[in-house]
Amino acid sequence: MATQTQTSSLAVAKEYEALTHDVALIDRSHIGRLKFSGNDALDLLNRLSTNHLADMEVGHALPTVLTSNKGRIVDVLLVLRQADHLLAFTSPETRKAVAEYIDFYTFSEDVSVEDVTDETSMLGVSGPKAEEWANKHTVNLEASVKVVRSDFLHMPGYDIVAPIAQRASLYKQLQTTGATPVNADTVEAVRIERGVPIYGHELGEDYNPLEAGLKHFISFSKGCYVGQEVVARLDTYKKVQRRLVSLKWNADAIVATGSELILDGDAVGTLTSSARLPSGEGVGLGYVKRSVPENSEVAISAQGKIFEAKLIEITPKD
Amino acid sequence: MTTQQAPRRQPLTINISEKAAHHVRKFAEQAGKPDITLRVGVKGGGCSGLTYVLDLVDVPGENDKVIVEHGLKLCVDKKSYVFLAGTTLEYSDGLNGKGFEFHNPNAKTTCGCGTSFSV
Repeated sequence: MATQTQTSSLAVAKEYEALTHDVALIDRSHIGRLKFSGNDALDLLNRLSTNHLADMEVGHALPTVLTSNKGRIVDVLLVLRQADHLLAFTSPETRKAVAEYIDFYTFSEDVSVEDVTDETSMLGVSGPKAEEWANKHTVNLEASVKVVRSDFLHMPGYDIVAPIAQRASLYKQLQTTGATPVNADTVEAVRIERGVPIYGHELGEDYNPLEAGLKHFISFSKGCYVGQEVVARLDTYKKVQRRLVSLKWNADAIVATGSELILDGDAVGTLTSSARLPSGEGVGLGYVKRSVPENSEVAISAQGKIFEAKLIEITPKD
Repeated sequence: MTTQQAPRRQPLTINISEKAAHHVRKFAEQAGKPDITLRVGVKGGGCSGLTYVLDLVDVPGENDKVIVEHGLKLCVDKKSYVFLAGTTLEYSDGLNGKGFEFHNPNAKTTCGCGTSFSV
């Protein structure tokens, strides 16, 4: 008879398998959702953030970074253009801060921001076969439900935003299509393994978008946005001081975030995220100094042990 | 006995230099609208976050603050006024190029091209 621990680890392995090799269903309702209305909403967001949003077509979505005037990350948004409004996905912790940031920079423009996070739900379908899944299945969606291709784990992925009252029936409906429900711990392990930065760990006012590997979310030709001068200077003069990397260690342990990454006796970086994989390995994300050679092996001193970790370079998704 | 009183500080306002006012009037006359109002304001954007706005309008907005100096009417919306109080609008035709310049005591940093600022 299988013990509870064995059953649990089998379930985790099954979830991990679904998310990394097939299709998984994830409740992402904690992601912030802000609705921007008004004739000037797109122009304002285009003026304030890094990506070129001005020519975005209705029904399309683009990621963009809100930066401070010092070029530091306020948040990374995914902006979905609808016929008469924009829906911006924020990090879970920043929805209020983003709304306040927009309000601060709104003067005579026709723009209003409404936080619709609590009145909607958000279900994600993600995995290498998600695109195949989307082509194969017809899900009966009401007009109020919005589907956006967000690739939130840097692989095919869709987010489905629906009124909160429809969450349970939509979840059941999606389950019948073969998408395996996975829990937050599995999503976190895959996020880290795939090098996806999140707010509070790899993103925030301590970092600029270039060191966070978000260069592909920046337009260098659209003109000014808040922080543009600093970001352009860092890029032009190659002044970015550190880079985001993945790490893998051969130990079934979550290593404390904030631990130093050590190379040849010198501290060369910091661990920002950590998780265990069903394989028994540990994975992490961290920032290392620019001078650290690619694919180096570093030591992490934590929990009274030394973990030997290999750096894996993160190639930004274009 | 006479007591010396400290000079009373002028309330914070937006000033325009005589030279700048002259150039605004010149533009207005060229546009065939000598009685025009100069809208001074701020909008979000630009490298430093806040960008100066200058516009010629027929009439001030209902809630605008209106200032008259050197025979020119200026208007500013209330939110922009918070960031512009104490500013003097100058006109420069020096070696660095011609144009209007904002001398804004609220600006902590200004971007390289001088069109945006932060507070």
